Amino acid sequence: MSRISESQVTRVAGFRTRLLVAIMLVVTVVTLLALYFAERSLVANMAEDLEREFESQVVALRHAQDVRSAALVERCRALVRKPRIRAAFEDDALDLLYPTAEDELRDITAHAGENPGPALSAQFYRFLDQKGGVIAPPNARVVGPLTPAEQARLALPRVTAIPQTGYIVRRDGRGDGIAMVMAMPILSIETSEVLGALVLGFRPFDFSESGLSAGMKSGLWMDGRLHAPGLAPEAAVAVAREIPQVLAASSDDETSGRLDLSGRPHLLFARHLNPDSLFPAAYEICVYPLTGLDVRKQQLRWQVLGAGALLLLLGWGGSHVVAARLALPVEKLAVDSEENRTQRVRAEAALEMTSAELQRSARFSADASHQLKTPVTVLRAGLEEWLAKEKLTAAECQEVAALIHQTYRLSSLIDDLLLLSRMDSGRLKLAFAPVDLTPLIEAALDDLSAQPDAFDVEVQTEFPPALHILGEQRYTAIILQNLLENARKYNRPGGRITLRAAADGDVVRLAVGNSGRPIPAAAQAHIFERFHRGVMGENVPGHGLGLNLARELARLHQGELRLVCSDGESTVFEVTFRPAAVPAAAVG
Amino acid sequence: MILMKRSEGGVATLAVFLFLTALASAATVEGQVTLPKARSAPVVNQRYEIVTKAGVLSTNPPVAVVFVEGSFPRPAVQPVTEIRQKELIFIPSLLPVQVGTKVEFPNFDDTYHNIFSFSPAKRFDLGRYRSDERPVPAQVFDEAGLVTLRCDIHEHMRALILVLATPHFVVTDAAGGFKLSGVPAGRYTVKAWVDSKTTREQVVDVPPGDATVHLDFP
Repeated sequence: MSRISESQVTRVAGFRTRLLVAIMLVVTVVTLLALYFAERSLVANMAEDLEREFESQVVALRHAQDVRSAALVERCRALVRKPRIRAAFEDDALDLLYPTAEDELRDITAHAGENPGPALSAQFYRFLDQKGGVIAPPNARVVGPLTPAEQARLALPRVTAIPQTGYIVRRDGRGDGIAMVMAMPILSIETSEVLGALVLGFRPFDFSESGLSAGMKSGLWMDGRLHAPGLAPEAAVAVAREIPQVLAASSDDETSGRLDLSGRPHLLFARHLNPDSLFPAAYEICVYPLTGLDVRKQQLRWQVLGAGALLLLLGWGGSHVVAARLALPVEKLAVDSEENRTQRVRAEAALEMTSAELQRSARFSADASHQLKTPVTVLRAGLEEWLAKEKLTAAECQEVAALIHQTYRLSSLIDDLLLLSRMDSGRLKLAFAPVDLTPLIEAALDDLSAQPDAFDVEVQTEFPPALHILGEQRYTAIILQNLLENARKYNRPGGRITLRAAADGDVVRLAVGNSGRPIPAAAQAHIFERFHRGVMGENVPGHGLGLNLARELARLHQGELRLVCSDGESTVFEVTFRPAAVPAAAVG
Repeated sequence: MILMKRSEGGVATLAVFLFLTALASAATVEGQVTLPKARSAPVVNQRYEIVTKAGVLSTNPPVAVVFVEGSFPRPAVQPVTEIRQKELIFIPSLLPVQVGTKVEFPNFDDTYHNIFSFSPAKRFDLGRYRSDERPVPAQVFDEAGLVTLRCDIHEHMRALILVLATPHFVVTDAAGGFKLSGVPAGRYTVKAWVDSKTTREQVVDVPPGDATVHLDFP
C-alpha cells in the first residue's frame, strides 16, 4: 500500500464513494417506491376494510330489520285471517269492522296513539276497501289518530294479494315522525279473493338506535324530500342534494356513494325500502362519517414513514458494507497493477540502459578500430618505404620486416575487432546464398600452405566435390580460415591437420582437427571467449579472437561451432551449416 | 255470475206436475232445478259446504232451495230445528227455516266452537262453548234473509240459514230434483234459491185437491 501513489489512493477512494452513492441511490429509490405502493395499497385496503365492515354492519342491521318486518308481516297476516274481520267484509257488515277490530287487534294496538310506541306495536291502523280506499273509522282515538292528509296517504290505487310496505311522514307535537305502514290484504278463505286490506302503522326500524355504528345518521327519502331528524339542517340539505345523483347512478335497490359534509368524507348508503310497492317509493338513507378512516390513515402514514426511515437506514448501512466489499478486490487489483507497472517500468528502463550501453560500446569498438586502421596503414607504408629506400644492414632489414609483419597482425586484429563490433551491434546481416564449401576449403588450404611460418604438418582432407551450404561466402571463408589457422597454430611440429566436410541429414558438418596438445578440461569452457589464448599462447602468434569470431559467424550462419573432443590424440572443432539446394549452374 | 251462465247453458227438462191428494186440499209441486256444475274441488263427503265467489255464497256441491211465496199464517207452535257442529263442519250447511224458527247449535266436537253471524238478517255471537254446554245455544230467526254462520275459532266453518216467510220449502237433491207437498190451492210464485245472488221464480197455479204440479227451473 505504501508504494501506491497519492492519486491512486484518491482514485480508489473515489471509486468506493461512487459505488456507495450508486448503491444508496438504488436502495433509496427502491425503498421509496416500495413504501409508496405499500402505503397506497394499505390505505386502499383499509378504506375497503372499513367500508366492508360498515357494509357488513349495515347488512346485519338490515337482516334484523328484515326479521322484524317478517315478524310484523306474520303478525299482521294472523290478524287479517281473523274470521270476524273476514266476516265483516264478506257478510256486508262493514259497520262491525272497526268495533270487531278493536277486539281482534287489541294485542297489537295496545299502544295505538303513542309515538313512538314499542317496536312491534302498531301506532295506528285503518282498513281499506276492495278498491283501496280508506274505510273511515268511527272512533279515531281507538285506531290511532291521523290527520286527514296522513289518513289519505294510506290509500292504495288498488289492493293486491301481496302485502305492501310504505312510509308516511307524520307531524305531531314533537316534529316530523316517520311511520312504516304495512298493508295486509284480507283474503277470502276459499277463493283467495282480496276483500280489502288492513293497514297498520309501525315505528320504523331505526339504525341510529342500534348503537353499532357510532356517528351514523339515518333518514328517509320520499317524494323528493329527506326526513332525517338526526342530521344537522345544513348537512341534511347537502345530503338531500346528493341523493338523486346517488339513486340515479344505480338501478339496484341498494346503492352507496361518497360525499363531503363540512369538509369531512362520508359514506352515503341508500336503500329502496319498499321495492314493488304500491305505496310511494321510500329510501332509507344512512350517512356514515369516515373520520375514523382519516385518523387511521394518518396513523398508518406515520407507521409507514417510520418503517421507511428504518428501512432506509438499514439499506444505507447495507450499502456501505456492500460497497466496501465490492470495492475491496478492485482496490487490490489497483495495488497489484500499480506494482506491476512499476516493475515493468523499471525493467524497461534497465533494458533500455543496457541496450544503450551495448550500442555505445559497439560504436566505441567500431570507432576505435577505424581510428586505429589509418595509423597502422600509414605506419606500414612508412616502414615499407623505409625498407625500400634506406640502405640498411641485413639485421636492420630483418627487424624492419618484422615490424611490417607486426603491422599486418595489427591490421588483422583491427579487422576482427571491427567485424565483432558490427556483429555485437547487430548491424551485420548475412546475404544468404548457396555457397559451395569445396572451393573455399581448397583456397583456405592453399593459404595455409603459403604461410611463412608453416610447420611441417600433414594435412588430411575428406570432403565431397561439391557441398552447398546457405551463407555469405566471405564470412564462410573467415570461419574456415580461422579454424584452419587455429589448427595450424596449436599443432605440434610434424603434426597433422584433419579436415572433413560432409552433409549429415539436414545439416552440413565441417570438422577440423589438429594433433596439438589437448586443451585442459578447465580451459575448455573459456576457449570461445574473446582474447582467450591457449596455455602455450605466449609462444603462439594471434590475439585470441579467432574462435570467438568463428563461433559468432557460425551462429550468423544459423549454425554452431563447438569443440567436439580434445584428447591426447587430437583436438577437433566442428561447425554446422544449413545445407542449400544446389544451384542449377553449379551442377552443370 | 259464472255459475248463472252455467245454469242457463245447462240442458233442462221443463215439466209441471200438479198432484192433488185425495186426503186434503193440498197439492204437491215437484220438478227439477237446473243446478250449476259442481266445483272441481273434490268433495270429501256428501255434506254441503258453503263457498263464496265474488261475494256470492252457494253450496258445494250445489243444491237449491225451492219455496212457495205467499202470505201464510205463522205456525201455532214455534218450529225448532238444529245445526250441529261435528268434525269441524256445520251439519247441515244449508238450512232453510220459516221466520220465527228457533235453531239450536249443539256442539258434538271435543273442541270449542264460537258461532257468530255478521249477516244483516241476524247478527249474533254465541261465544265459545263446548259440547257440554246446557242449554244448547240457540237463536230465533225473526227476519227473512240469508244468514251466514261462522265459527270464530275455525275459520273454514261456514253454514247458511235461509230464513223464509213461508212454511213451504224444500232442499233439492244433488241432481236438482225436488218435491214440495202440502201446498194449498192458489196462485203462487214459486222460487228456487240457487245462491245468494241467484233466485229463480215461476208463477204456478196450484189446483185444489190432491194434485201434482210439475215445475222446472231452467
